[in-house]
Amino acid sequence: MTTSNQSPAAVAATSSPPPVARVEGRQSRRRQMLDAIAGRYRFVPVVLMLAVIWAFFTAQDSAFMGNRNITNLLVQIVVTATIALGIVFVLLLAEIDLSVAANSGAAAALTAILVVNHSWPAWLGLLAGIAAGAVIGLIQGAVVTQFGVPSFVVTLGAQLMLLGAILVLLPGGTGQVSLFGTGIATLSSTYLPPALGWALTAAGIVAFVLLRLLALGESRRRGIDMSLVREVVAPGILVGAASVTAVAVLNSYLGVPLPVVILFALLIVFSYITTQTRFGLHLYAVGANPDAARRAGIPVARAKMIAFSLAGALAALGGILAASRLLGVSASSGTGTVLLESIAAAVIGGTSLFGGRGSVWDALLGALVIGSISNGLDLIGAETVVKYVAEGSILVLAATVDSILTRGSVFARATK
Amino acid sequence: MSKETAAVTTAAPLLELRQVVKLFGGVHALEGIDLTVGPGEIVAVVGDNGAGKSTLMKIISGLQPADGGEIRFDGKTVELRRPVDSTALGIETVYQDLALCDNLDTVQNLFLGREETSSLLRGARLRRADMEHRAQETIRRLGAKIPSLRTPVGRLSGGQRQSIAVCRSTLSNPRLVLMDEPTAALGVEQSTGVLDLIRRLRTEHGCAIVLISHALRDVLEVADRIVVLRLGNKVAEFDNSDRTTSSDQLVAAITGISAP
Repeated sequence: MTTSNQSPAAVAATSSPPPVARVEGRQSRRRQMLDAIAGRYRFVPVVLMLAVIWAFFTAQDSAFMGNRNITNLLVQIVVTATIALGIVFVLLLAEIDLSVAANSGAAAALTAILVVNHSWPAWLGLLAGIAAGAVIGLIQGAVVTQFGVPSFVVTLGAQLMLLGAILVLLPGGTGQVSLFGTGIATLSSTYLPPALGWALTAAGIVAFVLLRLLALGESRRRGIDMSLVREVVAPGILVGAASVTAVAVLNSYLGVPLPVVILFALLIVFSYITTQTRFGLHLYAVGANPDAARRAGIPVARAKMIAFSLAGALAALGGILAASRLLGVSASSGTGTVLLESIAAAVIGGTSLFGGRGSVWDALLGALVIGSISNGLDLIGAETVVKYVAEGSILVLAATVDSILTRGSVFARATK
Repeated sequence: MSKETAAVTTAAPLLELRQVVKLFGGVHALEGIDLTVGPGEIVAVVGDNGAGKSTLMKIISGLQPADGGEIRFDGKTVELRRPVDSTALGIETVYQDLALCDNLDTVQNLFLGREETSSLLRGARLRRADMEHRAQETIRRLGAKIPSLRTPVGRLSGGQRQSIAVCRSTLSNPRLVLMDEPTAALGVEQSTGVLDLIRRLRTEHGCAIVLISHALRDVLEVADRIVVLRLGNKVAEFDNSDRTTSSDQLVAAITGISAP
């Protein structure tokens, strides 16, 4: 530099190597692969893991891949996936919500009491439960953003309060409410007629391909080169084949279960919001660099509060779906492995614990991994101990992969 | 003290600071600073650590309001209390940390916080193609070199990231761009690219630039006028329109020790 009179800080600042220069030039193949796996192709290792799990259990017991067990598996994962979907939103913002399981139990208890003891129509009880969950999430989000309390403490405290609330809500004596014969119970016992299942599937695939084509057309009109195969054909075939196979299997048994339809409707809506809208983009921005987001005029606190209330609402819906399947609520609603499995599903699916990275589909993929292990171990008659150890180790493995991807890839600096 | 003041601004000044004061507790971070920036002028602010450069920048960008003095923009007295006050006047800031989101690509970063979307009836979709097109134009006009607009910016080099931050500041057609240490984290070659970008910013957009920097060689190369701060005071001002100021002169003013 020009002079020796510069302050030490200036010398250090100018002479130290630029932080990303090492990425330039000879970019290693390993790094490129890490980037791809951390980014656009994050789902590939998860799908591979799922394939291994399925192959293992099919080898143990061929009934695993039967239409009856697949239907069971999908119904079983709906609750986990729905709650995990909410977790994806808070994780995207580099926050955590440990109250979702208790929230799901409390909302289910509220809905059950309104429907059974106060004779509310099922749909109104359902909405009331979801609204309560959303408000509980919103309050927690407000405490986190307005007072700067770490979310894991706020939501941990809320979890205990909500577990208390369940005990207060449930009637003394039996400590449980039966939903047998109510509209809430029919949620789980309803299966779509095969024709309707096919019609919805076709509509979904067409909408997906049209949206992709629309984006491609807009880009090409602007002179931006985009590959038809990469952007439309390949994803279209992938999504089409997966959904057609799934629906064919389900239709060969009882049809598509209503809870599965609800889950996919949610996934599609939230997938659109996170990938196509301004709000969705802002979630990723806030999660990666809240200061930059704030200086760009993004309402950071508002985004976080919305994410927490979404997590609350989805947890409530998940809890009500669980109650519907179990035909009632009790003091054990929202306890046990619900919390661990929901957070694990989001992380195993590929949503980063460090914020700014993930997709709503991770909730589905992760729930499938967890659900398949649990279902398969039940099928081959393994003990609960084995189940706990298997699920716990997969979670730690997934979190380790997340940390490696976060440190080793381009996203490293997003989380400093 | 300002012996070399030869700054004869012919046009009416765009930004004028008069006796601006900033206090932190009892400490005077700025003790009555005067600064004028003419339209299309590149003014550099230099000084040692603690001289008040960053404070001055935060006052102009609206991050920290001044405690005294007057700020005039376009001849009118203005209050800069929040960042939006400055951006509303057409003052854009390129922060030293660049304020980029590493997980988003170039287009998403360029339009962050001011994305274009379709109407609610048409699905409130991000107008990705339109934004990408405008991003291409902006980058081409400023001659920045970005390999792919669709790569997460975390994968780009320091110089490329700096270019993106500079390009972003031009999207709103600003009248004044404030740059905080734009070359501090860069190697020599990348610095040259960013300096080119700064010159282009002036020729293509006609906007004035306030450059806050430690890198004296870069400052001498691009600035029309150089203001030296020391311990919260303006101690010298050099006319560098003919690029003849020497680094010895600057160092002497910055340290307060005369060159031997």
